[in-house]
Amino acid sequence: MPAQPLNRICYVEDDEDIQKIVRMALERIGKMTVEVIGDPMLAIEAIKAFKPELVMLDWMMPGMDGPTLFRKMKEVPEVRDLPVVFITAKASQRELNELRALGAAGTISKPFSPKDLPVQLRAIWQSLP
Amino acid sequence: MIPRSAAPSPAVLGRGSDPRDGADPQRVLADRVEQLYSQMPLGIVATLAIGGIATYELWDQRTRDLVLFWWGLVLLVTAARAALYFGYRSSKDKLPEAAQWLRWLGISALANGVNWGFAGAVFFPSHTDEQQVFLAFLLAGIASAGIPTYAASWPMFALYAGAIVLPFTYVLGTFGNRLFAEIAVLVPVFWAANVAIAYRLNQVFYSGYRLRHAYGRLTEDYTALNKRLEQQLVELDEAQRQVEASGRKLALFAERAPIAVLELDAEGRIQQINHAAENLFGWTSNELVEKNAPVKFLIRPEFHADFDAQWQQLIASRAPVAHLRIGNSRRDGLEVVCEWNVTPLVNTEGGVVGVIAQGQDITRQLEAEQLKKEFTSTLSHELRTPLTSIIGSLQLINSGVLGELDNDVAELIGVAERNSQRLLDLINDILDIEKIESGKLTLEPELLTLDELVGESLVLNKGFAERFQVRYEPRGTLLPVQVMADRKRLLQVMTNLLSNAAKFSPAGEAVEVSMDDLGMRVRIGVHDHGPGIPENFRSRIFGRFAQADSSATRLKGGTGLGLAICKRLIELMDGRIGYADREGGGTVFFFELPKHTAA
Repeated sequence: MPAQPLNRICYVEDDEDIQKIVRMALERIGKMTVEVIGDPMLAIEAIKAFKPELVMLDWMMPGMDGPTLFRKMKEVPEVRDLPVVFITAKASQRELNELRALGAAGTISKPFSPKDLPVQLRAIWQSLP
Repeated sequence: MIPRSAAPSPAVLGRGSDPRDGADPQRVLADRVEQLYSQMPLGIVATLAIGGIATYELWDQRTRDLVLFWWGLVLLVTAARAALYFGYRSSKDKLPEAAQWLRWLGISALANGVNWGFAGAVFFPSHTDEQQVFLAFLLAGIASAGIPTYAASWPMFALYAGAIVLPFTYVLGTFGNRLFAEIAVLVPVFWAANVAIAYRLNQVFYSGYRLRHAYGRLTEDYTALNKRLEQQLVELDEAQRQVEASGRKLALFAERAPIAVLELDAEGRIQQINHAAENLFGWTSNELVEKNAPVKFLIRPEFHADFDAQWQQLIASRAPVAHLRIGNSRRDGLEVVCEWNVTPLVNTEGGVVGVIAQGQDITRQLEAEQLKKEFTSTLSHELRTPLTSIIGSLQLINSGVLGELDNDVAELIGVAERNSQRLLDLINDILDIEKIESGKLTLEPELLTLDELVGESLVLNKGFAERFQVRYEPRGTLLPVQVMADRKRLLQVMTNLLSNAAKFSPAGEAVEVSMDDLGMRVRIGVHDHGPGIPENFRSRIFGRFAQADSSATRLKGGTGLGLAICKRLIELMDGRIGYADREGGGTVFFFELPKHTAA
């Protein structure tokens, strides 16, 4: 379990509506600091700049999907150790298992409950080594 | 056509080189015995008459007692013969016991012969010359009369005549008279000659009886054979009529069938096609036959290699092939995909004489399947994303983090949220059912401890219970039974059953969850206090879009797919699902799963 409580989060998501909901849920209910990134191609630079404690990735995004971005992150030393949580609307159990095998910290399925989102994220955070 | 009056060939009737061999020996014997017995009355009368005369002629004071004794003997033996005769006549077992009757008759013939032999031996020496001549004449006549009497059995005659002449010959030979001695030599010769005649006569009789029986048997056989032939001809006629009728029926089926039927020869050339095939391909049957067209003419070139391989296998294996998908080309150039069932026609020697191909244009079906797939995918991704935003927004508003809401607004937001949730449930259920029915749902079984899982489902569905103001309670002890099942899907089933029970129970009641150990299986039951299941709904309760009362959907939510999904999920887990009326009202929905046993 990490020493400090979860506070800084980066969220990569192309859908602006969902961006707003997640931001609101995490900031208003979870009292966290959130950086939302709309373009996955710019995500790694933005993450490096923001220095979050945890990254949330959407699965389906134009240009680059979540799993690809995740694999790319693994190649960048500054971000490779960040815990990553996927938020996805599809994802069979098999695909989720694959992601976990790759090292994803957790998955949250869409549609999610904004009320419960901070709780879910903190639970994942606390389960980290 | 088979000639109706076919004469039976001799080969069929003949049973060997001699037709007499066909006679039943027992019947022949019985006939001979019958012939012998039929002579008895005459023999008895003659014995009495001749015996009476002899007694009269031989009567004198010196030999009175002896003559009387002899006459008594004759009467006794004759009485015994008469008794034998009547015994035979009244017997019911003449045929099976013919040999026995023959033996008895032999004994009686011997006794009769001995009587006369006695007379010759005793009275010849003691009487006058005239009486001796009378006696010799009498014995010769009596012995000769035996030939026709015992003609059906020469040994019997030999015995009878032997008994008469043997003592007489002895008497003659020992008389001390040269003439008599000479006669004594001649008598056995005459006896032997008579036996020879009797033997020949016997053979004639025997042969005659055998012929009679052989002929009788042949006649019987012939009649039976004719009868059988007649019967077979009738059956053959009937069979032919049936074959013709089913042939016509088959032709009609093929002709009128809505599927395309092609008749091909063993080389794959088209012999005939039906209406549906003419419509499908745009060629008439005659055009294709005149072209001497191979069936490949109707197949798109890119499918030729595939077709050749399949065809070779078909001819080699001579086994039908089903669901063969082939791209066909029509006369107008359009390309279609057809599904074919191909059946080789095999003759009795095992050779392929032709092939019947039955096919259906499935182009539209394939398009529809593709469309459905795309639709499902759209439903999955494109509907869920906006719903995520809608439900998320409504929940955030409802959560109060943006400030307290006016009561009316809060109520309307609640309505919007619930209905968005309902829409989402429907989408999820439709996707589930689609996945299950297309066989794309794969379960991920793991070892589960059921009491834990049931406990978890009660916690997860607490919100439902609160909404409908009911309580979820375990009934009795939940058992730590282990099953191999998909955790997520089993929770889905529990959620469905629990939410249904909550929806249909009156406020304030408890919904109870029970677990029963059934030996190899474990049963989980969800007991509600609802109104029960209407009779007319019972048969389709596990069907798709099943709702007992459609107003309940509007009132309580639910897609009508829940139980259909539960049934399929439980069945995929090798279990079964059902329901029963709960005692005291309400319903128990239950499912059973096989217990996990350490292998």
